[in-house]
Amino acid sequence: MNTSSLSIALVSLFAALIAVLGLIPKIDLPLGVPITMQTLGVMLAGCLLGPKRALQALALFLAAVAIGLPLLSGGRGGIGMFFAPTSGYLIGWPVGAFVVGWIMHTLPSATPRAAAISAFMASVIGGLLVVHVFGVIGLVHIANLPWEKAIMGTLVFVPGDLIKCALCATVVHTVARGLPDWRFGG
Amino acid sequence: MGSLYNDHPTWLHGLSAGLKLLVLALLGAGVFATQDLTVLFASAGACVLTFASLGRATKPTQPLLIGLLITSVLIGLFHVYMQQPWLGVVSVLRLLCTTLMGLALTLTTRYTDLLAVLEWLLSPLRFFGMHPERLSLQVALMLRFTEHFFVVWRRLDEAHRLRTGKAGGFKILAPLTIHMLVAARRVADTLHVRFQR
Repeated sequence: MNTSSLSIALVSLFAALIAVLGLIPKIDLPLGVPITMQTLGVMLAGCLLGPKRALQALALFLAAVAIGLPLLSGGRGGIGMFFAPTSGYLIGWPVGAFVVGWIMHTLPSATPRAAAISAFMASVIGGLLVVHVFGVIGLVHIANLPWEKAIMGTLVFVPGDLIKCALCATVVHTVARGLPDWRFGG
Repeated sequence: MGSLYNDHPTWLHGLSAGLKLLVLALLGAGVFATQDLTVLFASAGACVLTFASLGRATKPTQPLLIGLLITSVLIGLFHVYMQQPWLGVVSVLRLLCTTLMGLALTLTTRYTDLLAVLEWLLSPLRFFGMHPERLSLQVALMLRFTEHFFVVWRRLDEAHRLRTGKAGGFKILAPLTIHMLVAARRVADTLHVRFQR
């Protein structure tokens, strides 16, 4: 199989999977920040596709959002989403996916158990830490929140995101058993 | 899957996608560069008038406008609580300007036109061996498979419900992901045969 064709297919289909995760109803918290399963898609993209393809999948997804497709949770879309207080999180998605993929690529994934542990660690660093750093920067610069308040605000999501990291590890474990020839981290 | 584009004709429909994007980019940069309340109030007034001039075409955006209103009120109240009401006004005005103009662009521009502008903007990447023209193909594939995976999700959920009497929830996420990866391999084979690359 040609790697160029595989890249196009994986990037497009994974962007579609992230869109489907957005169809699960979101929960809104103060400051209009929604809890969304799409961040799980960010973690999964990094673990399953590797850094480069994960970055491309998230960039494609965000490009589709920017041109007006209602792909974000709650049917939101349009370029206005990139000026909202939560836009830092959106911009953090491709970077987070890249970091998840890079860490997953460097950690062992020979067995389903090793792949799941690696996926959890990669998700915590890339999908949680990196995305939240970008989110906080967005809250500080767009909503003009003080750093400490923005950090306190984002901490509300950490327990939920840790659950998503565990879910990501479970999915990776199942994929490792179901598709033994799959190369995690690209 | 439909976009947020509204084909009810307005004066903004007649302008090119590139021009509208340029105005939005300049406006976005401008309102974030200044803290002058006169400039921000004038910009917000102009944005509200522009948005209102679209008339009936703005109807589908009502849920988004309610979200914008709630976010603005929360940000304003937060800054009043922090005894920085001036900063709250600046933040809300910036949010209002950029979000309303972003919505106006989305409502009045076909996504295919925006995609063409995006491909043009990305065209310098050819020098680095990338292929911006693939963007249209990838967006088309993504849209096709979003609907497909949603149908697969519902089928898996129904099957799980029949077996256990409960909704599948996140238990069906792993089978859905495997389905997606297998589908990607099949699509890659098809693309390879079709385009020989």
